[in-house]
Amino acid sequence: MSSDFSLFERHVDALYRSALRLTRKPEDAEDLVQETYLRAYRYRNRFKPGTNEKAWLFTIMTNVFRNRLRQRPAPTEPLDQPGTDFSIYDQLRREGMPVHLMSPEEIIVERGFGDEVKHALEELPLPMRMVVVLVDVEDFSYKEVASILGIKIGTVMSRLHRGRQALQKKLWEYSGRPRARPVAVGAN
Amino acid sequence: MGDHCEQAMRKLSVYIDRELSDAEVRRVKAHLDDCPPCEKVFDFQAEMKRLVRKECCTDDAPARLRDWVRQLATENPPARDREV
Repeated sequence: MSSDFSLFERHVDALYRSALRLTRKPEDAEDLVQETYLRAYRYRNRFKPGTNEKAWLFTIMTNVFRNRLRQRPAPTEPLDQPGTDFSIYDQLRREGMPVHLMSPEEIIVERGFGDEVKHALEELPLPMRMVVVLVDVEDFSYKEVASILGIKIGTVMSRLHRGRQALQKKLWEYSGRPRARPVAVGAN
Repeated sequence: MGDHCEQAMRKLSVYIDRELSDAEVRRVKAHLDDCPPCEKVFDFQAEMKRLVRKECCTDDAPARLRDWVRQLATENPPARDREV
């Protein structure tokens, strides 16, 4: 049995970095990962060999995490807000930056959007943050995320959509007031 | 923005997340090949996704946590009450 369990060992970095995004504190993240592994150990017979062990561990971890949050009032999920579309790209274009002439990397580096990603992510409401972390950082499919969090695929997609926009909005705010530039009419 | 652009934009997330069927991927790609402004938007959003991953993958588990998990995997029974 112990040799089976060693299969789970390799995901400790993934669990830890995600725990850090969820809890925001290294001590809490470490604690969360420990409890996750203890439960995985205790219930190791419930794991079906050949299925995705990383998804199984993340299911345990998100459950442990949500149980811990129960003491606090559950954050209410904001309804879809179609009017809040936001993208850094559109914002820069509106500002008159020649984004069509720049590579995405140049845009990101020039405005320093990379420096605050972790911070911005940690500011997102938890339901969105979890989905962005699971899809964008851990590379789970929508279906896997739906199963891990016990939500519908449509909910995964709408939280992801809103989460990414909110993330870009935060990065935009952190990057400082945009410099006003004349907008060339007819420019791309 | 034409109809084709709007249709492509609606698929932006699912496209960069590789969640579209092959047929749909071909349709979106065909539009992007014809429409540099849309292609730029798609490229930018894909880069943002890569950026989030890159920035967040820098935190590795502390050595003592890694050791603790390794112990759990090799020891039987785990040193639960002592360690937590």
